[in-house]
Amino acid sequence: MAELVPPDSLRCNYFFLYDGSKVKGEGDPTRDGICYFYPEETPLDKQELLCGQLAGVGRCVSELSSSPVRILRLRRIKYAIQMKDQFFWALGCSVDVPTVSVCQFLDQLINLFCFYNGSVRQSYQLHSRETLAARWAQYLSHIQSGSSELQHIFSCLKTIDSTNVDPLLLLKAALILQACQRCPLVLAGCILFRGRVVSTQMSPELTMKVMVHESETYSKTQTCNGPSASSSFDSAVGSTTVFLTLSELQYLQSAPVDKGLSSHSTLQKDAPPKKTRLSRTLSDMASTESDSTEPDSIQSSQKMCFSPCFSDSDNSVLSPAPSQSTTNPPNSQSQSPKPSFSNRKQSQEAGEETLDESYYHSFHSSGGAGSRTQSEEDGSVFEGNSYLNGGGGGGDGDLAFETIFDIGEVESGKKESHDHQAVTGDCNSEGAQGVMAQHNPAPRSITFESPEESPLIAMTLYLHRVQSLVLALLVEPHFLSDTASMEEVYHSSLASLNGLEAHLRTISPVAPGAPEPYIFAHFDRIQSTLTTNLSGRPGGAQEHPFVRATSLLHSHFCNTETLQEAIIRSAGAAVYVTSSVAHETYFQQNRGSLRNSGIPNHQDSAFSLPSKARHRLLKHGVNLL
Amino acid sequence: MKCLLIASESAEVLFHWTDSEFQQNVQEQYGASQEEGQGLPAFEDSISTLFAPIIISCSTMVDRLGDSYTSFITESNHIYVLHQFDECLYIAVNGDGEEGEDDLKRKIYVMKKMIEVLFGMVTLSSNLLRKELRPQDTEQRARLWKHLQSLLETYSQLRENDQSFLVEAVERLIHPTLCEQCIEFLERRLVQQLNSSAERAGEEVLHAFILVHTKLLAFYSSRSASTLSTSDLLALIIMAQEMYPSNVDLEETGPEDIDSTSGSGHESFYTPEPSPTDKDSNSSEMPVRGSTPVFEFIDPDIQMAEDSLQTLEVPPPDASTPRRVFLDVSSKDGLYPMMPHSMYCLQLWPGITLVLLTKIPTNAVAMSVYTFLEAFAKLEKRLREGHEGSAATRGQLTIHDIRNKLDKFIKALGPSEIQSAHLQNVWTEFKNRAFSRGGPGLNKDLIPWCRNMKTQLCGIYRQCFLNSASADVPRHLSTGLQERAQTMVQEKLMDWKDFLLVKSKRNITMVSYPCIALDPADLTYLEEFPGLIHFICVDRSTGQMIAPSLNITERTTSELGKGPVAQFIKGKVWSLVGTTRHFLRKGYSTVTLRDGDFYFCYFLWFENETGYKLEAGEIPVLPDESAPIGMLAWDYYRKLLRYYSKNHQGEVVKCYELLTVHLGVIPTEIILQHCRQLASKLWEPSRNPLL
Repeated sequence: MAELVPPDSLRCNYFFLYDGSKVKGEGDPTRDGICYFYPEETPLDKQELLCGQLAGVGRCVSELSSSPVRILRLRRIKYAIQMKDQFFWALGCSVDVPTVSVCQFLDQLINLFCFYNGSVRQSYQLHSRETLAARWAQYLSHIQSGSSELQHIFSCLKTIDSTNVDPLLLLKAALILQACQRCPLVLAGCILFRGRVVSTQMSPELTMKVMVHESETYSKTQTCNGPSASSSFDSAVGSTTVFLTLSELQYLQSAPVDKGLSSHSTLQKDAPPKKTRLSRTLSDMASTESDSTEPDSIQSSQKMCFSPCFSDSDNSVLSPAPSQSTTNPPNSQSQSPKPSFSNRKQSQEAGEETLDESYYHSFHSSGGAGSRTQSEEDGSVFEGNSYLNGGGGGGDGDLAFETIFDIGEVESGKKESHDHQAVTGDCNSEGAQGVMAQHNPAPRSITFESPEESPLIAMTLYLHRVQSLVLALLVEPHFLSDTASMEEVYHSSLASLNGLEAHLRTISPVAPGAPEPYIFAHFDRIQSTLTTNLSGRPGGAQEHPFVRATSLLHSHFCNTETLQEAIIRSAGAAVYVTSSVAHETYFQQNRGSLRNSGIPNHQDSAFSLPSKARHRLLKHGVNLL
Repeated sequence: MKCLLIASESAEVLFHWTDSEFQQNVQEQYGASQEEGQGLPAFEDSISTLFAPIIISCSTMVDRLGDSYTSFITESNHIYVLHQFDECLYIAVNGDGEEGEDDLKRKIYVMKKMIEVLFGMVTLSSNLLRKELRPQDTEQRARLWKHLQSLLETYSQLRENDQSFLVEAVERLIHPTLCEQCIEFLERRLVQQLNSSAERAGEEVLHAFILVHTKLLAFYSSRSASTLSTSDLLALIIMAQEMYPSNVDLEETGPEDIDSTSGSGHESFYTPEPSPTDKDSNSSEMPVRGSTPVFEFIDPDIQMAEDSLQTLEVPPPDASTPRRVFLDVSSKDGLYPMMPHSMYCLQLWPGITLVLLTKIPTNAVAMSVYTFLEAFAKLEKRLREGHEGSAATRGQLTIHDIRNKLDKFIKALGPSEIQSAHLQNVWTEFKNRAFSRGGPGLNKDLIPWCRNMKTQLCGIYRQCFLNSASADVPRHLSTGLQERAQTMVQEKLMDWKDFLLVKSKRNITMVSYPCIALDPADLTYLEEFPGLIHFICVDRSTGQMIAPSLNITERTTSELGKGPVAQFIKGKVWSLVGTTRHFLRKGYSTVTLRDGDFYFCYFLWFENETGYKLEAGEIPVLPDESAPIGMLAWDYYRKLLRYYSKNHQGEVVKCYELLTVHLGVIPTEIILQHCRQLASKLWEPSRNPLL
């Protein structure tokens, strides 16, 4: 799909961060509290007026209702509000933008900031306002840039146009990511091409965050080196510190890939490692692949084409597993920790009777295999505890933190003995993998935004760029100091990345053929991706009503869970939408085909939209049957 | 957790209403010290202190940014809706999830409408209105606020339970023969007799109607009267309900009545036999004249909320004293809004009320005041736009015309007891500035004087029409005359009384009423439209609606099933209306939704007089801050019709709405076929003898 940016998609009118703790006394000027204000050229007295009034009213209403304000609406502009820990964020958009989207926009922005900078309070203690202002500006422009109005409405990921890409390439991308994951220091990754997602192992939210850094470095290389910069190790690889929330980390660590591997490999130690790995990647391939392409039909077509390629060697392992993980990734995740848990339980049976069963369960099932190996490698008992607090804490916030800490203390008496057992057990499995040697990790830094908030855990984002293609990996912080792992990851993926890049580059955008007599938008709620035949160019006479209707309907469907289908029609346009837990699909037939408009009549063309949508969208890989 | 507050720009509370939960919340925030205070004033103080920062911030935003807050939503989904009318800021709050933003906005607009009906053109002067809404005398204030609170509660109750207030259209009792008889009776007997009586004290009955609960049995307007707008009629029904509330529970006590009319029986053929025992049994129910109507909402919340007022309890005004109401009048010289009328609300039996609207003798004063007010408002506008001299008066009555008329008007006021000295002084000053040779003439400096004139005129209007207490001679239909009217109608309806009360609960139902009247071979709705669960059809040109009754109390089993199921469907219908209005506001006149096990349809369309369906035109897209769609507070449909008619000159255009609820398993085609049949059948001329 051509990258055409409508000029009017800049939709944020105001954004500011106001620190109430700086303005307490009567005499304190409001400007002291303004941490960042967009647009920056706004006169200071207007900034002060807006910050002072909105923050003041926000506080007053929050006190009256004993709950923070979320939305504040004026006649001409609506603000999404976040109030946290004396900070007051407000993001103002035109009133036409759906409220859900404005709130998502603001949350994204704040999360982005925390992802790259850690706690807001701490950042403002460590850095100057100017430095951080530049970052806010960067994140703000990133979210707003390059996406169409529709993409704004759904706050979706920008993906490559999968209908135009050979499914085998997507499979290849997924395989590259899984190959990287063989290094236990790698948590998850994604592959981006020209600022669009090719394949990702991370949640949509996390992928979105990672993309900011990518686009930043991309624009830098574009300006400094030119797009054809040689891929010497130094210029092609970069890294930055990022901060993950507990739940994000947990999600990554509990990814099915890890579990399958560790249990699998311990059980089949004799099997050649290569083979087990391949089987694993294939079984997980579908789920990762579907991150970038949603339509069922494509998945099935892929299965059809890759099975002949691989089945000769691995037929036995191409079990029902792939289809399961394809259709229902969350389920397979919740199941996956079990094997490793039971494994461990067997090996640790010895001194466990006195341990509180439930604590034990939460502790083990939430801390993934990766964290386990880490803590066990760690010599000191205390280090191990603090690691678990950060890495495996089941909940968000203080409570979970403390309970786990308590277990640690209860456990610490017997810890040494069973730790020892565990270490030997895991060493075996690692020997089989042959990837990691014993290693002393640097103590992990955990920052707390406020007592009530979930801690942020520092991680590293590793980027490997091959021209317009980027491999982004979330890795343990000490990955960078571990030259062996780094080289392993670099060299194992380099060739495949080059190949993938070459293929993706040669794909020419489809020549815009005869315009289709309909417009559709298919939003995948789980992957947060959008498929549409809308060019993204503004000005199409049919497009504006479609976008308007979509925006209205989307916010309505967000608020009504039981809603499955709707048709709305004005004199000029009729839009059909159908939705399920997994998707929302919008369809509009173009002008000239509306009959009997307005009057209750079953022959009205608006009511033939559902069948038309079902029929037409099959071609685009959207199955509404 | 509900609250409605009216505040002046200086953060003075002009009116407040809270439910007990909100009150408790406020008191908790203020600690125990306030609780032992003297009820109302202490609570009022807390409220005004709590809201003051919001109110002040609001006016700051208006002054400095030219924009104002419209709503706040908190994470716990507490909603605050704000709206400013002139200098009065309305704030409505909901914290229990029962009302959405649109509901709160509607509540604010309805409150404003009720205030207009009660205070008329005084609302045009913020200064006077402020005094009117917040009398210095605490006792008087308590009485007024209690009245307003009660009206607001009545409205909320009706909006939550009554379909006609949900869609804001009047519901009629469907009984063609009886309706016709009653109209004839009102015309030939009642109104004629009243208007020819010497005891009418100069008043003239313009409209007379009979309400059974909230449903209209018969409506008659005299030939000299202008049409009563739907908006005003709905407001009057709220007032009548406030005076004589329907007790939902009490009316459910007659299950045998319901049996006799539901099921296979065709109600149209029900003719009650005047049995001799009727008189005896009824006499006990006959209200004793002068007895105070019992406040029958036994809602503990409401009781609680009013506890604070009890210390200042005031005896209710004499029932024979009419209510002063201000209604729109469209005469041949144009539209005169907020013209004074007297409203007599006579209860015939609990649940059945006769309402008389009369024109008062001093009506002409109101018309003159309005003409002058309009002239000064226009002049002010022109001056503000930068026009000066004669250009400022273009396109209206010449300023000299007004000068002559106003001179005469003031002269005429002179001998009466109305204090017009102020008006005279300001007018003299105005004339000096505007017309004297050496004076500044018609320019911007005159703007404050225009305003001053308007305030003075509103003051005159206030003296004439709101100070009913000061007038020594009761200028209204004599008590005897009122009693006679009451007895006449009672006699007429005596035999129908019980039938009407039941009928009003089960006006038409899905199972009992035939689609086409008077032919027993016809199918019921349920038989003719299998899968149809509910529908509402509204004729927006006349402001009337038809819908099967939704009985949702535990005791009655309707075809929707008992309690919870019916309640669920009711909830769906209510939210559907909200949704469709939301889409209509954005220009979508057709909406279908598949929601859970149900399929909803909504259509808005236009027809000409002969029933020919017209092509849908573009429906204007309204900005978010515009008034809520409906007919009670702001007549959206009148505007819509005017807009649509532009392209249909010389044709009478009618506007209809249809909402249906079907079972989701019914094929869409069949559902749409049903909709089409319903749309054509319901408004067939033969079906509706009253239109």
